[in-house]
Order: sequence, then C-alpha cells, then structure tokens
Amino acid sequence: MQVRTGIRALALASAGIFVVSACGTSTTTGGTPASPDKQIYRVNDGTEPNSYDPGQETYTYEAAVGRNVFEPLLTPKSDLSDVQPAAAEKYDVSSDGLTYTFHLRTNAKWSDGQPVKGADFVYGWKRLLNPALAAGYVDPFFDGTVAGAQNYGSTDPANQSAVDSFLQGLGLSAPDDHTFVVKLQHPAAYFKWVATLWVGAPIRQDIVEKAGGGAFPSTDATKAEVWAQSKDTIIGNGPFKISEIVSKDHVTLVPNNNYWGGGSKLQQVVLDFIADGNTAFSDYKTGALDQINVPIADVTVVRGDPNLSKEAHLLPELTVFWMTYNTKKAPLDNADVRMAFSKAIDRDKLVNDVEHGTDKAIESFFPRGMNGYDDSDKAQSFDPTAAKALLQKAGVTADQLNKLKLLTRNTTGNKTLNQFIVDQWNTNLGLNMSLDVIDSKTVTRNIRKGQFDIYGPDGWGADYPDQQDWADIFTSTSCHGLNFGCPTLAGYDDLVQKADTEVNQTQRNTDYAQAQKILIDQAAVGFIFQQYEYDLWKPYVHIINGPFDDEYLPGDQQYKNAYILQH
Amino acid sequence: MAVIAGRPTRGALLPPWFTAFTGTRGGALAIFVVRRILWMIPVVFFVIVITFVLMHLAPGSPWDKNGGRQLSQTVINNLNVKYGLDKPVVYQFGLYLWNVVHFDFGFSYQYEGKTVTTLIGEGWPYTAILGSLAFLLIVPVGVGLGVIAALRQNTRVDYATMGFATVAASFPNFVIGAMMVVLFSVLLYQWTGGQFYLPSSNFGLDDHLVLPVVTLALLPIAYTARLTRASTLETLRQDYIRTAWAKGLPERLVVFKHILKNSLIPVVTTLGPTFAFLVTGSVIVETVFNIPGIGRAFVTSVESYDYPMILGTTVLFSIVIAVANLIVDIAYVFIDPRVRLT
Repeated sequence: MQVRTGIRALALASAGIFVVSACGTSTTTGGTPASPDKQIYRVNDGTEPNSYDPGQETYTYEAAVGRNVFEPLLTPKSDLSDVQPAAAEKYDVSSDGLTYTFHLRTNAKWSDGQPVKGADFVYGWKRLLNPALAAGYVDPFFDGTVAGAQNYGSTDPANQSAVDSFLQGLGLSAPDDHTFVVKLQHPAAYFKWVATLWVGAPIRQDIVEKAGGGAFPSTDATKAEVWAQSKDTIIGNGPFKISEIVSKDHVTLVPNNNYWGGGSKLQQVVLDFIADGNTAFSDYKTGALDQINVPIADVTVVRGDPNLSKEAHLLPELTVFWMTYNTKKAPLDNADVRMAFSKAIDRDKLVNDVEHGTDKAIESFFPRGMNGYDDSDKAQSFDPTAAKALLQKAGVTADQLNKLKLLTRNTTGNKTLNQFIVDQWNTNLGLNMSLDVIDSKTVTRNIRKGQFDIYGPDGWGADYPDQQDWADIFTSTSCHGLNFGCPTLAGYDDLVQKADTEVNQTQRNTDYAQAQKILIDQAAVGFIFQQYEYDLWKPYVHIINGPFDDEYLPGDQQYKNAYILQH
Repeated sequence: MAVIAGRPTRGALLPPWFTAFTGTRGGALAIFVVRRILWMIPVVFFVIVITFVLMHLAPGSPWDKNGGRQLSQTVINNLNVKYGLDKPVVYQFGLYLWNVVHFDFGFSYQYEGKTVTTLIGEGWPYTAILGSLAFLLIVPVGVGLGVIAALRQNTRVDYATMGFATVAASFPNFVIGAMMVVLFSVLLYQWTGGQFYLPSSNFGLDDHLVLPVVTLALLPIAYTARLTRASTLETLRQDYIRTAWAKGLPERLVVFKHILKNSLIPVVTTLGPTFAFLVTGSVIVETVFNIPGIGRAFVTSVESYDYPMILGTTVLFSIVIAVANLIVDIAYVFIDPRVRLT
C-alpha cells in the first residue's frame, strides 16, 4: 500500500503499512466504557482520500476509511500467522490449488439493509479488473492471479467489446447468493492474503448504476465513479458507514447497525485531514484530537514532557528502507563494491541521530514481526575495515568512487538522512562523495530510466504479511517498478517463481529464505532500517493494539473494537 | 479649415445616440469596463497556453509516485487512455479549449470522479471568506496606522507603529502562524485550564477565523501602513496642504478631505493585487490552520501534476487578478479627477 508522505520526514510511498505490536507492549487494558454520547473518537488521517471507491484506494489514508466502510472476504489473524474469516465465513481450496471457494456469511448485510451476495463480489472484482477504470492496485495482485486476467495489459480500455469479453472471460463467479468462486491462473498459496486486501471489497451494481443514471457501458469510467462521490450512495458492508464528508477537512464515520458483527461502541469516528504535523500536535495538546502520529521534530518534546511521554507508543511497521545501487553501471556492477557501501553505514547511529530512535536498524529484507524474518545473515553488518578490504579486492580507485552521486529527493527528511549516509561513506571508506538533490518528480523519472548511481532511501511496506509480496520486487522481470537497480541475481527468479506457486508452506519458507540470502549476500540493495510508528493517544482511548489484531494505527486502523473509557 | 481626406473621425460611423452616450462620463466608464472585460478573453487564452506548455514541459508524468513502488506500465497505459493523455498534445490542447468554451474544466486526476469545477466550488468559498475578512482588516488598520505615523512623524507613536510594521513585514507568516498557535491555542489552553483559547485548525464561521485572518492580514497591514505613511508625508509637504492649515481648517477636514484623498492613490494601486492575492489563497496559512481552501488545493495539484486542476485554478486566478485590477482602475476615476479613461 502507498504510505502517506509528509507526516513522516521520509518520502516512502509503497505497500500497506502493517503496524505490528511486538510483545503486545502497547495494549491498553480494558476499563469501563464511557456513555454513548462520549463515544467520539477524533484521529488525524493526514490527507483526504482521493476516492471512496475501495477499488481505487492505494494509500494508507484511503484504506483507513475503506477498511472500515467495506469488508473484504478475509482478514489477517492477530499474530499474522494466517488469515481469519471476515465477509467470508470460511473458504475451501481445490486440491490442485486453482479454485478458491468463499462461503459468505448468511447474515451479512449492507448498510442499507440488503443482504450481501456473491454477485456483489463478482461485480466488485470485475470493476477492479476493468482496464477502463485503471485501478492502481490491480497489478500485480489481481492480474497476476485471477484466471483470464493475464490479458489485462493487452485489452484496449477504449474498446467496449474487447473490455466486455475480457471481463466475461475472468474466472469469477457466484454459483449462489452465498458463494463466491475465484479460479486462478496458477496455484498461489498467497492468494488467501490477496483476499484480505481492502480493494477486493464487494460493490453493489444497482447502486452504482442508479447513481450513474442507469446502466452504462463498461468503458465509461466517469459514470462508474459517481456513486463514490456522495455519502448517500457509498453503501458498504463494513462495521461503519460514512455520515459526513467535508472535503479537505474531515470525514465522519458512524456505526453500521446492519453489520453482521453488530454496531460498534464508538458512536462517531472523525478522521481529520491535517497535513501539517505541528498543527495536529497542537490539536492533540488542546484535546481537539485523540490520536496523532508525532512529527519527527517533536519527538524530543514528547519524550521530555512528563504527561505526553506516558501517552506515547512506539509500534513497529512492516516497512523496510534500503539504498538502491545501479548495478548496470560500473563500478556498482561489482557485488564487492556494493557490499562495501552496505557495510560502511553505521545503522544504529543513523536511527539514533537522525530518527531519534523511532526506527530500528535492519540488515535483512523481511521485517520483524512478519513470517520469514531472519537476521542471521550478517553479511551487510557495519564493519569499515572489511568494507575497505572489499574495495581493495575489487580494485576500484577513490577517484572512480568519488564520481558516484547519491540521488536524493528534495525533502528535508531525505536530505538529512542521505547527508548522514554520505558522511558515513566518506568517513569510513576515505571518500569524498556528494549528494545530488533534485525535485521528486525528476528523481522518479531518472530512476525509472536507470539514470542514477545510488538512490535512496526507498522501501516497501507489506500489503499482507506473506513473503511473496516482498520477494517479487527484485525479480528481473520487475525492473524499474521498485527494483530500480536491476541486479542480475543468479537463481533468484527461479526460487521466487517456485515459492510463489508452491502450496507447501514449509517449502515456501525455505525457498524465500534462500532468496533473501541472495539479496543480502549479493548486496542487491543495502538494507538500512525498519520503520516504526511513534504515536500519541489519550489515556482514555481503549485500543486493542495488537499484536496486529487488524488494529493498525493511523491510516490502517479498524475501529470496531475501540472505545472511549470513562474519564 | 483643412480636412484630412480618407479617414473619418473616430466614431463618425456610429449612430449619434451612441456617441452621445460615450461622450458622457458614465458612458465612457461603461465602454471602458466592457472593453477591459473583452480584453480578458485573450489574457485568459495566453494564460492557458503558457500554463499548458509549462505543465507538459515539466519532467515526469502525473502517474509518477514520490517514492515506493511505481505503477506498472499496463496501469499507466490504461490511465493515459482514461484521461485522454494517449492523444497528441496539440489535440489535447484543442480539446481543452473547446471544453473550456463550454465551461467544462474536466476531471481531476487526483480525486477519482471529481470535476475541477466541483473541487474549486468546494475550496474557494473558504479562501474567499478568509481573504475578504483579512482585506477588511487591512484597509482601516493599515491606512489608519500609516496616517497616524505620518501625522505624528518622529514621535514615539511613529516609531512604535513603524517598528511594528517592520517586525510584521520581516516575519514570514508560517512563523507568525506557528507562534500564534502556540500562544493563543496551546499555552492559553493550558493556562486557563481549557476555559479560553482560540482553535488552531479547521474552518468555522466563529472564533476559528481569528488566528488565520490575523496571520493573513499582518504582512499586508505592515506594507500598507508603510506605504500610506510615506505617501502621506509627501502629501503633507504640498503647498495646498500648507494653505489648508493656514486658512484654519479643522484637522479632521484637512486629513480626510485634502490629505487622504491624494495620499491614497499609490495605496489603492497596491490594494488591487493585495485583494487578488488574498482571495486566491495562501498555502502557508491554509496549511498551518488546516483550512480546506483553494490555495492548498492548487499547490497539491501542482505537486501531483493534476493538469486539469492546475489549468482550472490558474484560469480562475487570472480572472480574479484581472477583475481586481479593473476595479482599481475604476477607483482611480473617483479618487483622481485627472485620470482619463481610454
């Protein structure tokens, strides 16, 4: 999922930030809930969702609304070990691993009281895969799995008959009102996780068509989105519904009393769109907000304040940042040179000096808290002496290396961090390198074309806690999506391909572990740190914050089990 | 009398009632206004041309993300078709003009399924209210301080006023805004135990307006005060003012009738652009106080290459500025009888 930018100093926009709580440290113990008129929870969502159509949502601040108003088939278990039922009561997988049958809850209702049907999922998923609607999250999660969707890229979105026959040919069906069947292109053990994505929500055809003024052609992208413009037509199957949208200001959620799990204790959730972290911090101090993400500049203020420090919580996210080396360019085509750079960064000093200890150093790929985390490979560990030896072994001169520039996006956070990293390289490797700071859009254009030496920090946040969501990033076929350095890694593609289509979980874990080892040992990228969320919330807010019980923090939070305590 | 052959005198071919109308002061003014409004059409056209060209020259595309995983080429191709970006640029430009003539400003790229007209309609009222209120504060306070300082030149009043103006003009408004939030929201909230404080964010037609309006007005007040002072000092040295004093006119009459009317001409010149600047929104004030106005919407649209939104707001801004300048020109007629409309 795309991570909001701006709140945190770093500009990362990537996959779904899963907030996990290690050892359940931040769980607020229960207490007496306050009276219903006090069950109002105000949080800062940072930015207004670009869409209230779950299929079009790609950022955390959008899913914050989407996950609460709509409910997908499945949802992750609290310990991230597996999925658990959500809109689907249970699911079966055929023995060949190609057919997923989801049995929907018979008592599930939409917020307008209509029953949730299998056909609603078929319609929702076909909208998602409609090329004319160009949903950002369709690739690779859906066009890479659903049978028939491999033709997504070759279907002309302007040609109605081509789009219609493509949608007809998809392996999506509803044999009866309470069953939704998905046929896959190939066995994919991770497909159960795809079914947890907020974009795979059911959508009501009758409402979409009524809002659009009657049935419309599949190529009409404008009429298809009319329903998502008004709270009256945003009918969802989730625990909340939207009661008010004030554009650029806030959106208010109220309980959906038709939800199968019953109405929630919270009577109102107000998500404010405050872009400026300092403004949100002031609002928190005056009680206008109950929960915020602390701006990096205010971390020391919070720590030094006797009251605020008690309300602060540090929560790990499934997000890892790294430095990208352009492996198509000498001398970075040499793995020893890349490893030397990776070994010359003191990551602990970095997270303490630059991030005030709100992030944690990492030298491997899969983050802590997720299946596959393994930090036993120390190949990229900080060791200036070994790093210098590697450079000597590679036979590169300081002159060659000094010409390399660290491409940096023009934001304060990125500049501070990269300056620190260049200083580390200069000190530890005896170099005289410098930053190349340019505006963000130009940086994106350059890295997509492979016009850079070293670029960072860039990273990934999990959409779901399965290694497939991560390992696919560095396959040679996915160059220039996030794999900007495009390294040639012997055996990596085969391992990942095998693990992606393998059904046996133990075998998958082994293969992904080996794939991770290749990334680390070849210094495909230099892993730096795992991102944590540093949040404040009032002591009277009861959040079952994990470990990871769907209750992610701002942006990814589900509010159905949260409530306000008597105070 | 010698007659120059060939060319009729201006307006000779027009019906007599028309020349009679344009001959009057009111008639001349009406013609002037109509002509200036018609001139706005080519102005807006060139604004569109320049914005369109610059937008498309800027590196990168609307679908590039500021970090993280980029959209796949398949999705980008579909997006281009969805928003007509797969067509040649010249065709896109022609289509845009055609739509603008029909008052269709297109769909935003950022906000799925929302038209630019809707987005401007959502944001501009907030900005316009804030800007107008700030303007209403600037004129009396700025001009008042300037006149007082000039009349009491080189006294403590003068030094205090100009000291304030220098400080207010030197501090950028994000600093002033942040300081006022800390003082009037956070600290006041803590000192009074939550009894009395000014809200530091969001928009509401109540005490929410105080901090943003003051922050927005402070710099123009300082500027207007300095300008008024300088121009009043100059007017004070004129012979006719000395005459007015000499013949024993009361101070009130001298100041309002003789001094102000003349010293305000340069001030009025700047008030037009100031008004236009205020109602088109301040990004910083809107961000610091979290106001859902058009200024912030414009900047986000530029950052994300939301072409239709950039064009729509630019067109709106150019019309607002043109109208503000027109009003200033009309105001001259009433302030300075020497001004002739052409």
